[in-house]
Amino acid sequence: MSEAVLSVENLSLRYRVPGGTVAALRNVSLAVRQGEVLGIAGESGCGKSTLASAMIDLMGANAEITSGAVCLNGCDILSLPRAERRRLRGREIAMVFQDPMTAFSPVLTVGAQLVDFQFNLDGVTGREKWSRARDMLARVGLSDPDLAMGRFPHELSGGMRQRAAIAAALLMRPAVLIADEPTTALDVTMEAQIVHLLRELQADYQCAIVIVTHHLGVIAELCDRVAVMYAGEVVEEAPVDALYHDPRHPYTRALLSCDPAGIEAATGRLPAIGGRLPDLSDLPPGCTFAARCGIATDRCRTVPPPCVALGPDRSALCHEVAP
Amino acid sequence: MTALLSIRDVSVVLPTGGWFGGAAPLNILAGVTLDLMPGETLGLVGESGSGKTTLARAILGLQPISAGRVRFDGRDLIHSAGFKAIRPRTALMFQDATASLSPRMTVGDAVTEPFSIHGVAVRNHRDKAAELLAEVGLPPEMATRYPHELSGGQARRVGVARALALKPALVIADEPTAGLDVSVQAEILNLMADLKDRHGLSYLIITHNLALVRHVADRIAVLYLGRLVETGPTRAIFAEPRHPYTQSLIAAEPKPDPRKRRADLAIRGEIPSILRRPKGCEFHTRCPLAEDICRTTPPALKELGYGRSVRCHFTETTTEGGRHELEH
Repeated sequence: MSEAVLSVENLSLRYRVPGGTVAALRNVSLAVRQGEVLGIAGESGCGKSTLASAMIDLMGANAEITSGAVCLNGCDILSLPRAERRRLRGREIAMVFQDPMTAFSPVLTVGAQLVDFQFNLDGVTGREKWSRARDMLARVGLSDPDLAMGRFPHELSGGMRQRAAIAAALLMRPAVLIADEPTTALDVTMEAQIVHLLRELQADYQCAIVIVTHHLGVIAELCDRVAVMYAGEVVEEAPVDALYHDPRHPYTRALLSCDPAGIEAATGRLPAIGGRLPDLSDLPPGCTFAARCGIATDRCRTVPPPCVALGPDRSALCHEVAP
Repeated sequence: MTALLSIRDVSVVLPTGGWFGGAAPLNILAGVTLDLMPGETLGLVGESGSGKTTLARAILGLQPISAGRVRFDGRDLIHSAGFKAIRPRTALMFQDATASLSPRMTVGDAVTEPFSIHGVAVRNHRDKAAELLAEVGLPPEMATRYPHELSGGQARRVGVARALALKPALVIADEPTAGLDVSVQAEILNLMADLKDRHGLSYLIITHNLALVRHVADRIAVLYLGRLVETGPTRAIFAEPRHPYTQSLIAAEPKPDPRKRRADLAIRGEIPSILRRPKGCEFHTRCPLAEDICRTTPPALKELGYGRSVRCHFTETTTEGGRHELEH
């Protein structure tokens, strides 16, 4: 098994908010290897986007990393000087955002921006950058790349914009591509096409991909390994087949059971998890899922759960799972 | 049984202007005919740009229609003096629940606003607000909150309470669970199902989420470029979709099971611009079964019996064999 390209080790992050702090990530450890697609699943507020932005070092000004490291090829990027980190971004690690409209500047053409994105590519003329950009647009499936180069972002459809955003992210041949909800703003038909495209590109470029999404169908379709997050922690990590066919953590089970796409027989009443996420500024003493968990015991409510290894690449953060 | 809502050949055409008046008008809806029975849930599905929201707005009189008629409970909805009397019996749940609430109104004011709009006397606004909030499973204290203090699911519940205030017969829900997490989505759908049973509501649910429509709708109608391409009972359509577009929509939905990964794409390309409607069958540009006739002659909506109809030249061949071809 190859080395991890990007790894997050015991990362804890909190946001300063008026009247206290919010513990958005707590002891998160994850790794993605070359040629692998890692999915990060979970509901809103569980810290998936915070984790994605920490991986590329694009946190908000009120974020504060209290412990841990983010390592790219074994080197802790959080300890690098600002200018060095900036050089890595886009070149070694690139990101695709949920809303491609906000990822592009509205006042420049797509072509001009794709050329600009190659600013730290040394020894290449502007003309070469333009043709690299054009070729990349053709590669991501824009039928008329020359036309698209001259267009402003608002003149492209949502699907074309997301393709252009993927092209922008791949221009520098990054080692890691992070995609935060890449298909959420799109129709099912376009979602299927983007998923298909990411799969093709991954096979071609052999980069590591991290997909952050709440859509369990997209993860099943695309990922090799999945990390499920709940209230700022990774509660279960497993190869994709094992996660969907033998989920071990009670939250993973609950999440899978309430996806209407996974329920074969038509039903008027769908299962729901009930309850709500704990307040991240005032966490319960034990397991954060205990209040909503069907198998919680007194121990779960008082003692934080251990991370139980369940085999190669598998672990769950729970008192009640047996290895 | 007579239909609660009957839509006959409704078209919405917008002029596009142009300096010399020569620009082609925009045909947003092209002759849509649909019926909604009392107590029924109809799911309206299609990609963005297929005219789903325009149809909802046309039904509520928020969008002038160019041709056709909409009848509600046997009465003409539009151009009629009775519109004001019909209006409180229909309600719309907006797509963006938080944005549909006024940021300067408390939840209590928002849910009782329909009474003042329609001049319905309410003895005690606070009690009425608490009653409506209880109906959607929110505590009475919620009445003093402002929209920005609500979570997505709570805002959605307030939207439901507001829609229910005047005891409507028909509720149109535009993407009722867009942007919600799966567990919250299930809670909202269950709430809508409970309210339907309790008040005998009819729903028109507009969504592009097929997984959702499969569980909540009795019948579905599929729109493509403002034209109805297939309608029928939900179960029958999911068991055997007849139109190639419906087939590819169903096949495009990612399954939450890594063992059911698709080897190939079900559908390529994007919905064409309404400014350049394809000739003949509008779906031919993306259809895997298209032949010459599809490029020249628009197909008619064919009745298949059992409440099903489909708009395709190859209705007979797009059964099992056609679907097989699409999947491989």
